[in-house]
Amino acid sequence: MDVSRRGFLKLSGISIAALATGLGFDPKVAEAKGYSLRIEGSKKIPSICHFCSGGCGMLLHVKDGKLIHLEGDPDNPVNEGTLCPKAASLSSVAYAPHRPTKPKYRTPGAKDWVDISWDEALDRIAKKMKEVRDTTWKATEQVTDSKTGQTQNLTVNRTEGMVFLGSAEIDNEECYILKKLSQVVGSPYHEHQARI
Amino acid sequence: MTTRKMVLIDTSKCTGCKACSVACKEWNQLPAEKTQLVMSYQSQKDFTPKTWTYVTFTEKYENNKMNWLMRKAQCFHCADPACVKACSSNAISKTESGYSVIDQNKCIGCGYCEANCPFGVPKVDQVKKKSFKCEGCIDRVENNLKPACVKTCQPGALEFGEREALLTKAKKRLAEVQKTHPKAMLYGLNEMGGTTYIYLLLDRPEVYGLPANPQIPASLFLWKDVIRPVGSVAFGGAAAAVVVGVLANVMRGAYRSKEEGETGHRKGGES
Repeated sequence: MDVSRRGFLKLSGISIAALATGLGFDPKVAEAKGYSLRIEGSKKIPSICHFCSGGCGMLLHVKDGKLIHLEGDPDNPVNEGTLCPKAASLSSVAYAPHRPTKPKYRTPGAKDWVDISWDEALDRIAKKMKEVRDTTWKATEQVTDSKTGQTQNLTVNRTEGMVFLGSAEIDNEECYILKKLSQVVGSPYHEHQARI
Repeated sequence: MTTRKMVLIDTSKCTGCKACSVACKEWNQLPAEKTQLVMSYQSQKDFTPKTWTYVTFTEKYENNKMNWLMRKAQCFHCADPACVKACSSNAISKTESGYSVIDQNKCIGCGYCEANCPFGVPKVDQVKKKSFKCEGCIDRVENNLKPACVKTCQPGALEFGEREALLTKAKKRLAEVQKTHPKAMLYGLNEMGGTTYIYLLLDRPEVYGLPANPQIPASLFLWKDVIRPVGSVAFGGAAAAVVVGVLANVMRGAYRSKEEGETGHRKGGES
């Protein structure tokens, strides 16, 4: 089956929604006297906090396509419904005014960033990667054997002009793909943001 | 029938992560405020109309050993609250479950609650002219959910439940904590008629900046229970005196004689 990136996202979105309704996550109707909950009628979507390696479960309360509330998932064995201050504040990240939602491009020497399309951004990155990889490609490397003092050429097949930077903000599966990509491209440098 | 609820704040388990403060803002949709370094790790000095709960940090040295004391501050929801008594527009009321809540439609922002609360909890927003304080997540509690702060607490320092059951649990925990912290005590058992939020403190309340014996201010007691009732009697008396005075004057013919005097003067002018 040929699935594009966009198609994959759509599919996973649909399956999450199906999962949420299938498992009966419908918030119950408030039975209060005079006190109605502001999350009434919202859909609860289980998710995972990406802040640290703990992976606490969160319930995202979504109403009319907008995240209105977020709290710990009581069914998650990691946190059993609790959340730390960083996770509890994540809903403000979702609608932060400074959050970039589109790829941005700044031409050399220009002052301002300009919004560009994903296609344009990905094409540009691919082109640059190819260019850098071709110019910095190393097929063999000459090393000196410390015991015999003889030099020999070893096959290394790598590019030293590229660095892959991971982050604490990406999840396990994303880390796996990133590491795989860096090896396929041939870069020996994959580093974590926290070590810089 | 709603039973009285209780929240136990076990300061011996608190790690000072401030998640309660964040969860409170998240649920009540309160905006963030610029934080300051007050002392130790404390980043919020006092309650504000936008910050209903924060964590206080105290570093206390005893025999060259530091005791790091953390306390989540919020409204105590007293059984006998000064704010309810002080409120000039009957905007603050007590619920059966033990919470003091402000009806924002009735509040006029007079600030009497702010002036009279022994813990300094309610704060008036001078722009909106409304008073704000922790509502104990009354909407969540009435819908069988835990308050937002209790729900999020990771070390389990906050616990929510039926008052009687949780009090027994608190006393048991106190006995355990007193083995290592002999000064430990429960705060809020009898204070202000027994508060809904009860603390397990590791030291004397003064160390945490809490009043040792919080009370409804004497001036408020005087005003509401003495001067105002007496005043209303006095006001009625004054009104009655005016009526009696007028009647007496009529009967004595005071108004008539004045009229006669005036007519007499006119007559004199004509002649």
